[in-house]
Amino acid sequence: MSHADVLADGSADAAELRPSSTPVRGAWGRLVRSELRLVFGRRRNQALLAGLAAVPLLLGLVLFVTRDSALAGQGPGFVGRVTGNGLFLVVAALIMCLPFLLPLTIGIATGEAIAGEASSGTLRYLLAVPVSRTRLLAVKAVATMTFVAAAVLAIGLVALAVGAAFFGLTDVTLLSGTTIPLADGVLRVAGVAAYVTLSLTGLVAVGLFFSTLTEVPVGAMAATVIVAIVSAVLDTLPQLAAIHPALLTHHWLDFAEFLRVEVDWGVLSSGMAVQAAWVAIFGSLAWSRFVTADVSS
Amino acid sequence: MTEASVPRPTSSRARWAVPAVVAVAVTGAFLAPPLLASADESVLPDVTPGQLVTTIAAAEPVPLSGTVVYTARLGLPEIPLAEMTGADPIALLGGSSTLRVWTDGAERSRVALLGSASEYSVVQDGAEAWTYSSSDDAVVHYTLSAADQARFDALADDARAGTLPEVAGGLPTPDEAARAALAQVEQYSTVAMGDQTTVAGRDAYQLVVTPKDASTLIGKVVVAIDAETSTPLRVQTWSSTDSSSPALEIGFTDVAFTTPDDAVLAFSAPAGAAVKDVVVPLPEMTGAEPETAPGTLPEGVSITGTGWETVTTWSGLDVASLIAGDPAALATVPGAELTIGSESAQDLIEEFMPSDGSGSPSIPTLDTSVLYDQLTTAVPEGRLLSSTLLSVLVTDDGRVLVGAVPAETLRAMA
Repeated sequence: MSHADVLADGSADAAELRPSSTPVRGAWGRLVRSELRLVFGRRRNQALLAGLAAVPLLLGLVLFVTRDSALAGQGPGFVGRVTGNGLFLVVAALIMCLPFLLPLTIGIATGEAIAGEASSGTLRYLLAVPVSRTRLLAVKAVATMTFVAAAVLAIGLVALAVGAAFFGLTDVTLLSGTTIPLADGVLRVAGVAAYVTLSLTGLVAVGLFFSTLTEVPVGAMAATVIVAIVSAVLDTLPQLAAIHPALLTHHWLDFAEFLRVEVDWGVLSSGMAVQAAWVAIFGSLAWSRFVTADVSS
Repeated sequence: MTEASVPRPTSSRARWAVPAVVAVAVTGAFLAPPLLASADESVLPDVTPGQLVTTIAAAEPVPLSGTVVYTARLGLPEIPLAEMTGADPIALLGGSSTLRVWTDGAERSRVALLGSASEYSVVQDGAEAWTYSSSDDAVVHYTLSAADQARFDALADDARAGTLPEVAGGLPTPDEAARAALAQVEQYSTVAMGDQTTVAGRDAYQLVVTPKDASTLIGKVVVAIDAETSTPLRVQTWSSTDSSSPALEIGFTDVAFTTPDDAVLAFSAPAGAAVKDVVVPLPEMTGAEPETAPGTLPEGVSITGTGWETVTTWSGLDVASLIAGDPAALATVPGAELTIGSESAQDLIEEFMPSDGSGSPSIPTLDTSVLYDQLTTAVPEGRLLSSTLLSVLVTDDGRVLVGAVPAETLRAMA
């Protein structure tokens, strides 16, 4: 689906719905739907989802082939546990995608959302829709976040299928050495995926802000990825321990909490609070920029 | 659309004020609670150290669960091992670690050292204990032998019935025990009450123990005691060389005095984990403490100095083979020949050689040897481990000197 189609679609909606410039009930829903259709209809986004889904497939394949060799049971994080229980492939795949591939996905999605529209000259047509810029930004944020959630879901579901096919699903041994039934284990891994998705919201806000600053989508994308990487690097410097808890990426691995014998919700909610803070600050920055910017193209 | 078409500069400037306000509000929301908590003046009735120690001695152990943060500023060389191995007790040598603690106040407890995607758990149930390391999926099960277990059960039954065998000249009342303990401590230190404080949101008394000796590395020990349950909530050990922050600090950041869930306190080895059984001998109840009866010291151990300046010397130890549990692997470590000089070490190597095929894996062994080399520095007398609280000198002739004294003192004694 091209921009023109969607815009024609959007304009048609607008023409049909709008007698005056006041926002109309239902326009919001239509706009979200149209934006989602646009995001998920893009070929490169579909390719991106397929590529992310290939990560657990490749990882599962490698572990399956090497499971009887001397290399079995090695590897960082949860990789060593996958051969014993396919459910851990979900966690291992998410860990592999978290440092770079998921931030890259966010960069691409947010860069496209506003800077991409500006560079292809479609943003000013979009602004002609009788919806305030605030709402438009919210629609962009919701669509981007939905795409990111779909990326996490794609990784998780493929990992679950591959893990079940290659290694089977059994009762889950937690990090604490306690064994819980498979159903509980699936719930906890679903919690991991949900936490991973929610802990990407801060980066989405940062990416949207960069996207409002420029008309070069690649620039916004690169800046977003750089923020994630710089944050991860700063997180490893012991000299900066004082600011570590506030870093965007510091709490990303706290999803391990779901795999301990007693889940400490305090740890998880403090991670979510930090993401909420980043969303508040960069969301408001993006809003200020977007509603005041001169859109000429 | 309307916003862009109408030029309004003041409004646009006002719009940019929104993020600034949000940023200030968010920062405030994150910084305010700790500031408020520290500003909160706790008003507890004044007690003397003697009264406090008496209530501690009389207090029943309570069930609790909580999060403990342990911070070591021992001045040891930076060890990157902890980053690589995940949750591992080695991480306790430096930096900050988070532990989670559960206990039912009686026989069962669990302590978990948390890593970013790993955990090291110690579960204790009466005389049995397990450790579980999630990084290598390995269980170590510590038990008593059958005879010792029977003896332990008998002792436990006695304890429950209130007829403990004589430990040290009759069972003292809490008051007497507290007085005796305090007298013991006050022989070499001054005990005073510190400022009342708040630990993990609970009002606490602070007991400050300051050594009378000036030559020890230990500046003072500060123990924060929960006012309600008399449970120690935080222990800070300050070095005499650094008065800005405690060298060792372990304390609750979060604590709840409720009985933990049964699932947390139970442990059974997970399927597929490597299980190693270790039988621990139960020591005979002699009632003689090394400090109180120096005559009963084991062979090869001698004690010099008193109180905080005490230096313990072991002689005839094979430090190298102790550190590297697998002597065969040790031979491959460069520079290790320097430390295996003695004949007995060679004997040990030969003795352990045949059995090492099925023995412990060689990678952790290598780690401990490398760790030993990293932590210690070469001095003319041997190898020296110098930290802000403790010095250890391993001499070339197989003696080990340990004391809470500056390294120079140990070197002068060697």
